[in-house]
Amino acid sequence: MAPLLEVADLKVHFRTDDGVVQAVDGISYSVQPGQTLGIVGESGSGKSVSSMTVMGLTRSPKSDISGTVTFDGRDLLSASNEELRKVRGNDIAMIFQDPLSSLHPFYKIGKQLMEAVRTHRDVSKAQARDRAVEMLGLVGIPEPRRRIDSYPHEFSGGMRQRVMIAMALMNDPKLLIADEPTTALDVTVQAQILKLIKKLQTELGTAVVMITHDLGVVADVADEIAVMYAGRIVEHADKRTLFDAPRHPYTWGLLRSIPRLDTARDHVLVPIPGRPPSLITKPSGCAFNPRCVYATPESRTTDPVLLPTAPGSGHLVACTLSEEQRASTWKGIVGGEDPA
Amino acid sequence: MTALIEVRDLVKEFPIRGEMFTRRGAGTVRAVGGVSFDVMEGETFGLVGESGCGKSTTARLMTRLLDPTSGTINFRGTDIASLSRKQLKPVRREMQMIFQDPYSSLNPRKTVGSIIAEPFLIHEVEKDEKARKTRVQSLMETVGLNPEHYNRLPHEFSGGQRQRIGIARAIALEPKLIVADEPVSALDVSIQAQVLNLLRDLQRDMGLTLVFIAHDLSVVRYMCDRVAVMYAGEIVELGESDQLYTAPTHEYTKQLLAAVPGQSTH
Repeated sequence: MAPLLEVADLKVHFRTDDGVVQAVDGISYSVQPGQTLGIVGESGSGKSVSSMTVMGLTRSPKSDISGTVTFDGRDLLSASNEELRKVRGNDIAMIFQDPLSSLHPFYKIGKQLMEAVRTHRDVSKAQARDRAVEMLGLVGIPEPRRRIDSYPHEFSGGMRQRVMIAMALMNDPKLLIADEPTTALDVTVQAQILKLIKKLQTELGTAVVMITHDLGVVADVADEIAVMYAGRIVEHADKRTLFDAPRHPYTWGLLRSIPRLDTARDHVLVPIPGRPPSLITKPSGCAFNPRCVYATPESRTTDPVLLPTAPGSGHLVACTLSEEQRASTWKGIVGGEDPA
Repeated sequence: MTALIEVRDLVKEFPIRGEMFTRRGAGTVRAVGGVSFDVMEGETFGLVGESGCGKSTTARLMTRLLDPTSGTINFRGTDIASLSRKQLKPVRREMQMIFQDPYSSLNPRKTVGSIIAEPFLIHEVEKDEKARKTRVQSLMETVGLNPEHYNRLPHEFSGGQRQRIGIARAIALEPKLIVADEPVSALDVSIQAQVLNLLRDLQRDMGLTLVFIAHDLSVVRYMCDRVAVMYAGEIVELGESDQLYTAPTHEYTKQLLAAVPGQSTH
């Protein structure tokens, strides 16, 4: 099956007064139709910039973009702004973290929802309105026929995010990019929204790229997970493998530094020392090496590339340690030995 | 174990502003609707709930950054709920706060050294400048900052380091009680654990009593001995961490726990 979205060796560099920010530094991934890819990383890891670039939202005289982004057989990086406008909100839709600033405060949500359809399709106002009511109902807004004439401020945060999802789905997109869609929401509302995204995906067959800093969120919704650090993907695996047999020291660090509900209470968190590097002057060798307790002299000089853990495996890791070393180190960590 | 602070029937109502120029005092909103709890000496007590549940207001009432509408706050034998600003000054030495946002809670124009030294100046202890500098630098060391960075400004530090500055300031006077309001929620995932472990170590080493407020249930469980769950201005459940997390009794607690993401793996 041909992938719906294929990103290859994507680089996004921004020229600033302080130097060139290597926000995204050569990443590759693909998303199959109907699949969910979770992209996990901290602030500044490049997770949002890479997805915004797919939509053509980082184009600027100050940015250098290279690589290829192929969506449904079309090259999006070389597409004109005119062509991109036809794709955005139609074939690819995006939802953002803050649902309040993504909605226009001055217009009723019905008008904003209808605009989403009428921009791309030749439909009557009445048809667009029917579609808006239908989508509002689908995302669980009670009394959609009445609420369509409400303003954004009349909705709660969770309800606004539902409206954003309804808007994103107005044109039956093939791909939905969700950038921290639940970060601004309370935990019970977050659970509802994640459930909704999952349900819609099953019913409508939309592929989803879920961008988040929260491993718990991707654990709930993603089929595959890519972990980003300093503008690169450092590990990519299916969800089960990533949680059961992670192979990158940064992924280990993340897993060990997050408190969980199901571990013993006296289980002590092991933080990752230091902090993420500057994207202008990255460390030589592996970008993670200054914070990595397993770093070797080689990781200070060799910049590791993303490679399969075994020939033909879908589990990809960018680390200079050998697979045997990584496997035994992780086994030691799980077994309670702490070589750190 | 004795209680360090006993809160009884604490209420806070805020006036609702009417439309401009028209109705004044359109009524009140009850942010905290009569909560009662004890915080034991040396324990970490968690307040957990969603936005708007009144947990931050409760924290600010306990430290008397806000005036309660009614109720009592018995801190080491004195009801501090109705004390005047002047009467509160000696009490403030004993209780300090750590805030969520390490950017807005530090004066951007002051050096780290003078930010951490401020409690000494306000409470007129460690008056000798040299001795004060030594104290401040040892505090910086305690919280994992480089004492040589004494003369730097807050903007030169990352979020996690700024939170350490806030912690150093809070422990400067060796208070009995620290109230930490969402101290890690503005930090990156890989930095959160550093700050959580620092707070745990300080709590153990200094015999601190810690009130820890957060919306993240896993973080609260990691930190706290006992936890109170707040909903709509009231405590709906209060219990030992282990019990509350394994056998919640209140329907809302159950909902909260079920909503924590990531439980499907492992």
